[in-house]
Amino acid sequence: MNSDRREFLKFAVGGAALSAVGAAVLPGDSVAEAAPAKSQHRWGMVIDLRKCIGCEACSVACSMENDVPLGEFRTIVSTYEIDTGGQARRATLPRLCNHCENPPCVEVCPTQATYKRDDGIVVIDNTICIGCGYCVQACPYDARFINPETHTADKCNFCVQRVDEGLLPACVETCVGGARIFGDLNDPDSEVSRLLQEYPTEVLKPEMGTDPRVYYIGLSDYLQAKVDGMPVPWSKEEILEGMTDGSAN
Amino acid sequence: MKKLTRRDFIKAAGAAGSLTVFGVGYAGTLKGISKGWWAGVKPHNKIAGNAPQPEFRVDPQSGEVTPNPDQYLANTVCVGCTTLCGVRVRVDKKSGKVLRVSGNPYHILSADPFLPYQTSIKEGYKLLSGYQDSGLKHRSTACGRGNAVLDKLYDPYRVLTPLKRIGPRGSGKWQPISFEQLVKETVEGGDLFGEGHVDGLRAIRDVKTLIDPNAPELGPKSNQLVFIAGFKEGRLTFAKRFSVLSFGSINFTGHRGNCGLSMRAGYAALLDDWKGYPHLKPDFRNTEFLLTIGTAPGNAGNPFKRSGKMVAEGRSDGNLTYVVVDPVLTNSDSIAAGSRSRWVPVKPGTDGALAMGMIRWILENKRYNEHFLSQPNGKVAQVAGEPSWSNATHLVIVDEKRPDFGKFLRGSQLGQAKAGAKDTFVVIDKASGQPVAHSKATGPAELFYDGSVEIDGQLVAVKSSLQLLLEEARKHTLEAYSQACEIPVATIVELADEFTSHGRKAVADCHGGTMHSSGFYTAYAAVMLNALVGNLNWKGGTSSGGGRYADVKPGPRYNMVKFPGKVKPKGARVSRRGFPYEKTTEFKKKKEAGQNPYPAEEPWYPFSFAIQPEYMNGALNGYPYPVKAMIFWNTNPLYGQAGLYEAGKKALSDPKRVPLIIAIDPFINETSAFADYIVPDTVLYETWGATGPWAGYLTKVNSVRWPAVDPPLAKTPDGDPICMESYFIAVAKKMGLGGFGDKAIPDKDGTWYPLNHPEDWHLRVVANIAFDKSPVPDASDEEMALTGVERIQDKIKAVLKPEEQRKVAYVLARGGRFENEDKSYQGEWLTHRYGKPMQIYNEKLGTSKNSMNGKRFVGVPTWAPARFADETPLVEVYKPADWPFLMVSTKSQLTSAPVIGTPKLEALHPYNFVVLHEEDAKRLNIKGGDKVRVTSPAASVEGIASVRLGIHRGVVGIEHGYGHWGLGARRESIGNKVWHASSIRGKGVASNLLGLSDPSRQGISTLGGFVVGNNARQAIPVKVEKA
Repeated sequence: MNSDRREFLKFAVGGAALSAVGAAVLPGDSVAEAAPAKSQHRWGMVIDLRKCIGCEACSVACSMENDVPLGEFRTIVSTYEIDTGGQARRATLPRLCNHCENPPCVEVCPTQATYKRDDGIVVIDNTICIGCGYCVQACPYDARFINPETHTADKCNFCVQRVDEGLLPACVETCVGGARIFGDLNDPDSEVSRLLQEYPTEVLKPEMGTDPRVYYIGLSDYLQAKVDGMPVPWSKEEILEGMTDGSAN
Repeated sequence: MKKLTRRDFIKAAGAAGSLTVFGVGYAGTLKGISKGWWAGVKPHNKIAGNAPQPEFRVDPQSGEVTPNPDQYLANTVCVGCTTLCGVRVRVDKKSGKVLRVSGNPYHILSADPFLPYQTSIKEGYKLLSGYQDSGLKHRSTACGRGNAVLDKLYDPYRVLTPLKRIGPRGSGKWQPISFEQLVKETVEGGDLFGEGHVDGLRAIRDVKTLIDPNAPELGPKSNQLVFIAGFKEGRLTFAKRFSVLSFGSINFTGHRGNCGLSMRAGYAALLDDWKGYPHLKPDFRNTEFLLTIGTAPGNAGNPFKRSGKMVAEGRSDGNLTYVVVDPVLTNSDSIAAGSRSRWVPVKPGTDGALAMGMIRWILENKRYNEHFLSQPNGKVAQVAGEPSWSNATHLVIVDEKRPDFGKFLRGSQLGQAKAGAKDTFVVIDKASGQPVAHSKATGPAELFYDGSVEIDGQLVAVKSSLQLLLEEARKHTLEAYSQACEIPVATIVELADEFTSHGRKAVADCHGGTMHSSGFYTAYAAVMLNALVGNLNWKGGTSSGGGRYADVKPGPRYNMVKFPGKVKPKGARVSRRGFPYEKTTEFKKKKEAGQNPYPAEEPWYPFSFAIQPEYMNGALNGYPYPVKAMIFWNTNPLYGQAGLYEAGKKALSDPKRVPLIIAIDPFINETSAFADYIVPDTVLYETWGATGPWAGYLTKVNSVRWPAVDPPLAKTPDGDPICMESYFIAVAKKMGLGGFGDKAIPDKDGTWYPLNHPEDWHLRVVANIAFDKSPVPDASDEEMALTGVERIQDKIKAVLKPEEQRKVAYVLARGGRFENEDKSYQGEWLTHRYGKPMQIYNEKLGTSKNSMNGKRFVGVPTWAPARFADETPLVEVYKPADWPFLMVSTKSQLTSAPVIGTPKLEALHPYNFVVLHEEDAKRLNIKGGDKVRVTSPAASVEGIASVRLGIHRGVVGIEHGYGHWGLGARRESIGNKVWHASSIRGKGVASNLLGLSDPSRQGISTLGGFVVGNNARQAIPVKVEKA
């Protein structure tokens, strides 16, 4: 992979936020309240960028599955155009919570609402979170936001309610190119373990010492440096306003 | 509006610890802090928030499946775009609401590998789960749009009851009316709008009286109803039964003329089928080199998801290298794929020059597959190990003075065959050097022949098809081709070299990028490359699809196409397609009067198909005959046909032109806005339907939809939702038409069954599918419960025979019937093979004339720069000095024109841009984020500039699907309610507003392809300025 330092990202093509309210929801019970004590699993994700077609199926599926409020996304695929010395190329970068081994968000949480489960999934207990936003600022991956409905911190939790029932996260189930691979890092025979052995992989911002459990195949330096958030040419306010000024039926 | 400039971007991208959360902003956090969590809504679960409980549980140790009794998972079909993927709809039983949509694991367009058909539903759940990582392999996906489009079910701007206009046509003033009033008024007519008498459908339906006794070729008055539909989404056959077979109108079309007709026609010429219009797609999994011209796999195209999956897999784990020739760089490319993916920028409308340059190089450098091309007939080819063959060696009469100029030399002309249906073609046998009937040849024939044969004692000049192609390709040098398409000669040679370096595993394909005025020849040239390597029916080569089981056919259970009172429609279509001008009264009269019969008053298209744009132009011009009523069903030409809105809006507003317009549509789009009556319709997973993949599959596939959720629509007096089917049933019964009512559908023994409800039709279609070849197994109670099929059990019992019921349920439970994947290949050949020879020279093409100038069409691919219908070059009228840019529309991965109003998609991608190359923008002093005006000779639009490197210089790129002025973007008044316009639905730019009229034509027109009349929605001359 060519990673000439002088190359720079031309601009971001897409990405923004919000969601429909009103999908029917069943009352929650014990699902995902806590990980089984002493889990033998360590969940993680490998994202093979060669297989990502930037279609955003993951972003929408996550939003639908988790009833993420209009205006926010827990995962998104940033699309870039890159100048490789006169020849333009496309690059896509699916982004989500990295479920770090050393999560900076957990350290700063004053109420211990956010914590890492024994199986490695970093979650937020919305009954303890006070919405202070420290974790949102502490996350080097811009993976967190304050949920405008609950006023508590929110982010990807690997669809913990599905994983605990033996299913896959929504984004993985619907990944058109098969780029998102999820599984047990503790199981040497799992697909994620096999890929980590077989391919060179990278994580975002390794210098932060967060030790992410989301690994990328085919990530090059020019994307590495550019995950700090992405200006999009449309603002959330503009979208929300446009969506609410009409009315019918 | 936050403006995007490069400086902004670099700054933001480089700022450590930016607070931008996924590009959305930090404002929410501050609000949260100020209010505290107690001010918020308490979600259902402290960790999982509002996520509903999973649809089932799979034990990680045993793999045991425990379904969630409160939900069902219906396998059905998405209608979010024309790909029609199988999807799995997860429904909450208590509320009846759709929770989420993902892929149907049995369906080839959503899963790879797809489940063997006999897999139980429950076993399928296990395979989709995390159990032993099996879900990674068997995952069945929905795309971003497929995940989001369920919101259209609940769109507040949905029409739920019949509407009648109460203001002037197009004024947006409507009155809800009853179903009975709708049926009565549209059938009986009268002074419906206080504007004078309007003929109803009963008066129009006269299948005996001619429209014009002096021009009998126009057919009976029933042709004055024009039915315009969208695409074959699974119910088109029902609509056709009403309009064509019962009502008796010949004017019935889908949207193809605005979509991909040029591509389809190029393939039709190659594959010698001007009726079925088949087309080819790569056997993606095994293709090694793929050249796509005017289509970008993984970014758009059909089948979207499967192409995306195959490209993703092929460029990483597989052996695929692909090159996308496109004026605009899209997500088809990925830098992570390295050199496996390449983008070749091209000047819009000139891809034909690239293809002809490649053809020239391949022929001159003998890089074609001689073994394939020299086979004289199919049998000899098979023996020689070729699963397909071509007419490369067939001789064509080239003596311009002869009446049979342009025809193939026939065996009968040499006394080697009998004239008539069984006549043969003639080749020069390689061994003997003598002309022989192609069917009698036993070995290879001469590829390049330029000589003469003796017919009735006269020497007649003949050439082989491949010789004609060589001569045509040699009309321009590689340098000239390069200059036209702005692709370097070295790249043309490189592509030709690479294309011919992979045996049968190189494929060339094209699509919507060829929808310009010379699109037909562009497409014919592009797909001709496949013939030169002989890839048809080969593993890794091209496939015409795997076919399907009998559905709307004289099937194994019911004959769905036979009924008393069935009409065989006659006459010329208002689109003038499939009818040579030379057979019209207009032509004969001009000729009799000693005039030059050319040009025709409006163009005729002797071998074209489904030209939606010319149905519109013809209806608005009243040529070749006036139209009295139009029915639009789920289609939107006023948005989708480039140039039509500007050219046609006035005429369409005038009830004297087309006195009755009925739109069957769930929404008020730019076209149904002009309706006199709107009939509501079912949406997505509420609908019935039997369809199949359009392309890109090797095994038999029947995709089946059934009402997985209840529609919120008003009901007919018979208790059915008011929709396309129930409306046509009621109209047909009121008019006493055949094919509907109590005696409508015969079974195998000739016993008659009724068609009084939608399910009377659809369930019997599925019965045919279930019983074709060997019948499918019976569904269990458990499978019917898990998939929600039990919800429609009463209907199944009421309509079908006992022995049919559980087999139909088996098909419904799986969302269709699918042949297993192991049936894809027979050795190195495909199992389902296309039978006809590839046409290097197409006789029908080469013997037909352009009705606007009397010139013959070239019978082989040729390089044809953009031109009007009379073949005046576009650049002569719209000079590049005045119109320095060419506008192209590009496809979105997320948005298709009808899904505007889907909140999750609006959130991700609320509008489009006017994309310009960096150098062009610099010259015009335009920066990214600036407001710009794009002006064509027809219209002007304004949008936001996006300045990129990933676009060819001199090109304006506009993503299709935005800039709506219907579908909720316009105010509607409905009874005493007002639908206020939603501004987000109107955001962005509609590229088709820039489309041109054709100044070489007299009436209302949109620019079209000069051969087949496809809408020219690409390569529009424009200028750009800062607004």
